[in-house]
Amino acid sequence: MKKHELLAPAGDLERLKVAIHYGADAVYIGGPSFGLRANATNFTLDEIKEGVAYAHQYGKKVYVTVNIVMHNQELEALVDYLKALESLKVDAIIVSDPAIIQLAKQETNLEIHLSTQQSTLNKKAVEFFKKQGVTRVVLAREAYKEEIEEILRDVDIEIETFIHGAMCSSFSGRCVLSNYLTARDSNRGGCSQICRWDFDLYDENEKPMAGEKPFTFCTKDLSMLKHLPEMMNMGITSFKIEGRMRSIYYIATVVDTYRKVMDAYIKDPKNYTYQPQLELILRRVANRDSIPQFFNHKNDHECQYYNGRIELSNQDFLGVVLDYKDGMVTLEQRNYFKTGDMVEFFGPHHETFTFQITEIYDEDDQCIDVVRHPKQVVQFSCPYPLEYLDMMRKKTFQ
Amino acid sequence: MTKFMVIPTSKNLDRFLGADAFLFGMKDLCINFGTTYTLEEIKAYQKKYPTHDIFISVNKNMRNEDLEHLKEVLIEVETMGVKGIFYYDISVVELKKELNLKTDLVWHQEHLTTNYATCNYWYTFGAIYTCLSNEITISEIKDICKRIHGKVILPVFGYIPMFTSARHVVDNYITQMKLERKEGMHYIKKEGYTYPIVDEKHGTTVYSSFILNSLEELPTLKEEKMDYFLLNSFGIDSLVFEKVLELYKNITKENQRDMMKKFEALKLHTDSGFLYKETIYKVK
Repeated sequence: MKKHELLAPAGDLERLKVAIHYGADAVYIGGPSFGLRANATNFTLDEIKEGVAYAHQYGKKVYVTVNIVMHNQELEALVDYLKALESLKVDAIIVSDPAIIQLAKQETNLEIHLSTQQSTLNKKAVEFFKKQGVTRVVLAREAYKEEIEEILRDVDIEIETFIHGAMCSSFSGRCVLSNYLTARDSNRGGCSQICRWDFDLYDENEKPMAGEKPFTFCTKDLSMLKHLPEMMNMGITSFKIEGRMRSIYYIATVVDTYRKVMDAYIKDPKNYTYQPQLELILRRVANRDSIPQFFNHKNDHECQYYNGRIELSNQDFLGVVLDYKDGMVTLEQRNYFKTGDMVEFFGPHHETFTFQITEIYDEDDQCIDVVRHPKQVVQFSCPYPLEYLDMMRKKTFQ
Repeated sequence: MTKFMVIPTSKNLDRFLGADAFLFGMKDLCINFGTTYTLEEIKAYQKKYPTHDIFISVNKNMRNEDLEHLKEVLIEVETMGVKGIFYYDISVVELKKELNLKTDLVWHQEHLTTNYATCNYWYTFGAIYTCLSNEITISEIKDICKRIHGKVILPVFGYIPMFTSARHVVDNYITQMKLERKEGMHYIKKEGYTYPIVDEKHGTTVYSSFILNSLEELPTLKEEKMDYFLLNSFGIDSLVFEKVLELYKNITKENQRDMMKKFEALKLHTDSGFLYKETIYKVK
């Protein structure tokens, strides 16, 4: 079977390490400039260097987004930035503006991936970019299964598709609602997600057309978990998880879940069976419903999300393991928990297990009943061995 | 001298004849144009109005299934002697090369046409024209005009498409809420602003709450190296649009005050968009 890549987002170094620990084959990150998540933490050049070294140590790759739509004033600094990325040994840059492709080809030996911001949906466009030296095309999230198959059949190039995360309601690159409603430039990383806002709908005569819930563009999220083996068989190279601004818990959970499905299918494709309970795990970190969307030509009202501005969040994530020694786990708190709680530990190298916390010690070795302070470091005994970056969550279902 | 190009939104072009050029949205290959036209209709207009330059737009995001029809249209257009083909999807560039077509292209990736280097990049692939984004400032426009190898088309008047989706978001809402379907255009409102929203065959478009108006800037812009000013008639009464076009054509530094007064009398809800306002992309 063709080698497949699980590609995870990483908003900062901690998330990069988590993504790799949980089984991502590659991560994509934003640098200090020219990325489409201007308000994410993003990486400094020193942090990119550290992240690349960390990833390469495990045989993993790091791609850097350089996918803003350029304005004149940004062009001047671009060449130096591209050269810096090359010197840091990043594995590829993700680009949407073709002028950057040209500059990168002229000035560096960087590998170039075409961003989904170009909304590429057809084989002729893919052919064009292949001829320009692009080695991978990230297809539009609107691509149907048959279109992806046809592109893969007719053009010899790496194809990357999104498999999980939030969806733009518009074609990528064709929405500037954020610019006009909040003066924040969506194509330069400032998107203020107007498509999640509520509006009032009116007919041609400006008479209200009010339903039970307000009008919105808001879409459900994407989840291709069930279709992953099918997509692997199609020959897609890279499977991308959206969400550079998501938490380490989200990244760990989503990467871990998709990794398990990929590995199970690769190990024994004939006897592989889909495990629907994995959807429950993904649902625990989601704040919206998720469905396959366009892959199966689904594009109707069921793909949209009419729930006002209410988006679910939870306090599921309790802490991250910093160390485990002599039966004691050292854990950094992320949400309130207390002695007597039934909790679950999950990680990439062991089965998820449940146990009850009996005694908790703070950093001064004092016994405490509750852990209420964000990032508070505590210790307690745990009968099962754990490792750095394993995570603890609430036990809420069987 | 800069010419005036109009996007008509009626099959009767009488009110648009003051323009030097027409930009027609091509039926089945176009989105957010209000009205689209068949090749036969465009050929008939060409015959009827031989002094007008004709441009055609095929600005939808193409799927594989569109490619055959797109190819047929491009081949047919080649025989018509049109001035240029507006494109969004890069398949158009690839097909131009494959089919060795001579008709000039117009790079019109709407919100992405924001810098001179990318204009010059597409120029090397036959995009002799660039239709500039509405999300750049007047100084950026002038800078592009100085550094561009090709020709510039600048949208100066009309509602601006702000959002283009493959989804039918109005229809989806009506279905979900079990509302009665209504013909014609819809509007969405938020915080006192009203935005036209149109569901069409290929998806949904949302337009700006205001009409972009660059009349005041036009005398200065006329001094720049610019080939066409583009005026979009979408959502505007054709009689009013005809008057607007006349004002745009005739405004000079000398008569500017008088012309602006006449424009104000039309009582249109206008704004200068981003001509003097830079967008923010890093929120501190």
